[in-house]
Amino acid sequence: MRLLLTYSFSSLSSHIHAWLISSMGDGMAALVAEMVIVGISLIVFLVPLCFFLGYMERKVAAFMQLRLGPNRVGPKGSMQIVADTVKLLFKEGLTPTASDKFLFNLAPVIVVVTSMLVMAPIAFAKDFQIWDLSIGVLYVTSISSIAVIGILMAGWSSYNKYSLLGAMRSGAQIVSYELSIGLSILSVIVLTGSLKMSDIVMSQQNGWWIFKGHLPMWISFVIFVIASTAEINRAPFDLTEAEQELTAGFHTEYSGMKFAMFLLSEYINLFVVSAIAATLFLGGWMPFHIGHWELFNHIMDFIPSSIWFMGKTFFIIFIIMQFRWTFPRLRVDQLLTLEWKYLLPISMVNILLATLIAIMGWHF
Amino acid sequence: MSIYEILFWFLTIMAISSALGVILSRNPITSVLFLIVTFFAISGHYILLNAQFLAIVNIIVYAGAIMVLFLFVIMLMNLNADVEPQKGRLLQLAGVIAGGVLFLVILAALKSATVLPLEKTSSDIGLIKNLGRVLFTQFVLPFEISSVLFLSAMIGAIVIGKKEETKNPLTP
Amino acid sequence: MKAIIATTILGIIMMFAGIMAKEKKPLTTLATILLVILLGVNIWDLTNTSSLAPESLFNNMLRIDRYALWFNTLMTGCTLLYVLLVGREIQKVGEHVAEYFALIFFILCGVYLLSCYNNLLILFIGIEIMSIPQYILAGSDKRNLKSSEASLKYFLMGAFTTGILLMGITLLYGATGSFNIVSFSFLQSDHLNTLALAGILFIMMAFSFKVSAAPMHMWTPDVYDGSPTAFTAYMATIVKAAAFFAFLRLFQVSFGSLSSHWTFVLAIITAATLLVGNLTAVFQQSVKRMLAYSSIAQAGFMLFAILAVNAVAWQGIIIYAVAYSIATIGIFTVLMKLKDYTYDGFNGLAKKEPLLAFVSTIFLFSLAGIPLTAGFMAKYYVLQALIQQGSLLWLVIFGLLMASISVYYYFRVIIAMYFKQGAAELNSPVSGTDKFMLVFTCFLVILLGIFPQLLLGNI
Repeated sequence: MRLLLTYSFSSLSSHIHAWLISSMGDGMAALVAEMVIVGISLIVFLVPLCFFLGYMERKVAAFMQLRLGPNRVGPKGSMQIVADTVKLLFKEGLTPTASDKFLFNLAPVIVVVTSMLVMAPIAFAKDFQIWDLSIGVLYVTSISSIAVIGILMAGWSSYNKYSLLGAMRSGAQIVSYELSIGLSILSVIVLTGSLKMSDIVMSQQNGWWIFKGHLPMWISFVIFVIASTAEINRAPFDLTEAEQELTAGFHTEYSGMKFAMFLLSEYINLFVVSAIAATLFLGGWMPFHIGHWELFNHIMDFIPSSIWFMGKTFFIIFIIMQFRWTFPRLRVDQLLTLEWKYLLPISMVNILLATLIAIMGWHF
Repeated sequence: MSIYEILFWFLTIMAISSALGVILSRNPITSVLFLIVTFFAISGHYILLNAQFLAIVNIIVYAGAIMVLFLFVIMLMNLNADVEPQKGRLLQLAGVIAGGVLFLVILAALKSATVLPLEKTSSDIGLIKNLGRVLFTQFVLPFEISSVLFLSAMIGAIVIGKKEETKNPLTP
Repeated sequence: MKAIIATTILGIIMMFAGIMAKEKKPLTTLATILLVILLGVNIWDLTNTSSLAPESLFNNMLRIDRYALWFNTLMTGCTLLYVLLVGREIQKVGEHVAEYFALIFFILCGVYLLSCYNNLLILFIGIEIMSIPQYILAGSDKRNLKSSEASLKYFLMGAFTTGILLMGITLLYGATGSFNIVSFSFLQSDHLNTLALAGILFIMMAFSFKVSAAPMHMWTPDVYDGSPTAFTAYMATIVKAAAFFAFLRLFQVSFGSLSSHWTFVLAIITAATLLVGNLTAVFQQSVKRMLAYSSIAQAGFMLFAILAVNAVAWQGIIIYAVAYSIATIGIFTVLMKLKDYTYDGFNGLAKKEPLLAFVSTIFLFSLAGIPLTAGFMAKYYVLQALIQQGSLLWLVIFGLLMASISVYYYFRVIIAMYFKQGAAELNSPVSGTDKFMLVFTCFLVILLGIFPQLLLGNI
């Protein structure tokens, strides 16, 4: 039992590393093999995750609307999403005649690849991270800003007015809301003094930033959640695919597996954004501690770090899913007003406050 | 060949070929997409030089923001190949000659160039902490004074972008 | 360097004043007051660093010497004169008067950086700070399609040139491993390799664009013609002078010892500039366009100072900058009063507004380089600098020839004013203040023409 709790994933990865080097030699081959292993394990992790998120989305929607939700396939309808995926797999992937075929087929790949790349620096558990690079948080923002290129590509190459409009909206939206995201991330960085994910998590050992950093951190957290909901094009910011106006926005023309890829990336993005929020503000895999309550802290330590991480992440996912059924969709001008006239000035002032706290050492 | 060299040549070929793609492709959208690839390749080079911060900022600013706005504008303008103004033969010839001469000059310069060795001590300069330290000590003036540049650019965006209220809407 | 900080702060004050002010007139008054303050700060700088030894600031990023301080002070003075003369016209351009003035303050920040830079990074940032507000000012008359065209053209060409400048800086860095223009490796001619030479060539091209020298002058007529006249007057004078000062600084201080390598190229550029500027100006129908070409021609003369690489060149460029700026601002002020910018628009101006005709005659005399005006002294000094340099006498003779051609098109305006029949129509009545300022400017032109030592004696 004790072993299970204090078990660190780093020993597992170093075992694999040592084994690969002993069998393949210290060269390219081992590196490539490690990359392949990481890739496969990521996909093995992501596909069930997305199934679960899809199921969760429907169940949360049903819960919010006093319905039952999917309940036919599998126990409590849990196999519904699998059935849907199988259906999508067997559908024909149409490519419109007038479209730019290369870009049309490339777009979903780019969207999925970018959302998968963002997983790299996320600390899933203690010592369990794909790539702990020194600029982890910036890496996340930079790569996630690439996804919009895939969306624009999809919208433009479809040769369809709805698609183009959807893509345009998405472009404006993502480029705008990136600023608020960046600034609210920055306020955490100011306090942490490092961009490295592991450092950020370690800095919250004696308390999560949302508690340690007082009011500015609360503001940052709220802004981050709002802005990232917009960044991943979820309701109430889903103008990109506003059904009533644009059919399905940028992926109107997509079908079959290509459509499924957009769906996949949407859920991965949802997960990633929540994971980042959990890492930055809620302490990542750090257990919940209260001051000097030794016993309480000790009990909390017994819960494995991965469960802490997943719990926090899913808490935020749950909140974001509730947004969808709580707020009506914004108009384009309201969307831009919200960002440029409210969120951006607030986050600018907020970062000054955070800097003040960091300089004066008012955080604990 | 070490991994470093393989990556270097891969990125170099990618950068040059996609840069060529930018100017050779007929479709402006493809051009922009090639440009994005070029930025990625250059960011890769930055990472090879251990300048991770620069690499990521390059992606955020250029590939992520500026190029998206470029794409945006080009897609909305709906440019086609036949709208492009056709240049005269003479002008094309002049362009080729001028470009060729410039190419020769640079080639000659590079051929006989003695390249200064890279300073060994500065190999970690690209890491964000060192970069920040240098920016706020040695290069503090250029760093701070660029704010004037950005401020004037922002004023420009407002001056040019804001709708001017004309007293009589009938007169243009 | 207090002036750099001061101009930035004053620019920001100006910018925020736009929120408070309900009308445009107080903004012009405010800008004038702030410019007086700025001039005061400049003079303070000047008196504080009276020692002859240059002062290095910010880790050797800036190197402040007497020439730079004098240049800054004089250019601030010219800007003040410009605002006093043209302020009313700036109000007419558009709604964002506070922003226009703020941009002028930022341009001054660029001018200050360019006058005392000691590092190629500062050179680059200075040129950008000076250029970007200009692109905006060129396009500030949004209802006018020509203004937008001018802005876009200027911006695209300017951005391209910036690329060339950066390429040059990169090549120089590759060759010398330094951005510092007075560092050891920069000044050593035997250490030189072709990489550095190519870099010098690139930088020379970029500067030639900024000062509108011949092969890179194409943008000048369109931009100067299309921009609102109030801002053309600024672009053609102070900004250009600052670009020249930066040009001189780099090519004298750091490439001076290599002058044998680049003199010939620059001499050809100079000759071409003189030829193109003067000959094309002859054939213009619009006075505004003629002034654009004349500014190219004047650039040819200012290039003499850069070719000369000696101490007289510094004096030459400063007096030329001042003389040319004052006269050009003056003639543009007169031009703005007129409805019709063609030569015919000037017909019979002498009868209707004798004072206006008289002052513009003096300004045109100065531009043509007639003795007893500042323009003569300016031309005298740059020619003297080139003669002292010795090896380019053919260029001196060519320059004199071209100066005589320039008399033709300047005098066409004078002939139109005095000897042609017609009723020159005015845009707006000439007020007493306008008259006073114009006469004062005229007085400055003549004063500088008779006693250049008043200015040069101190430098």
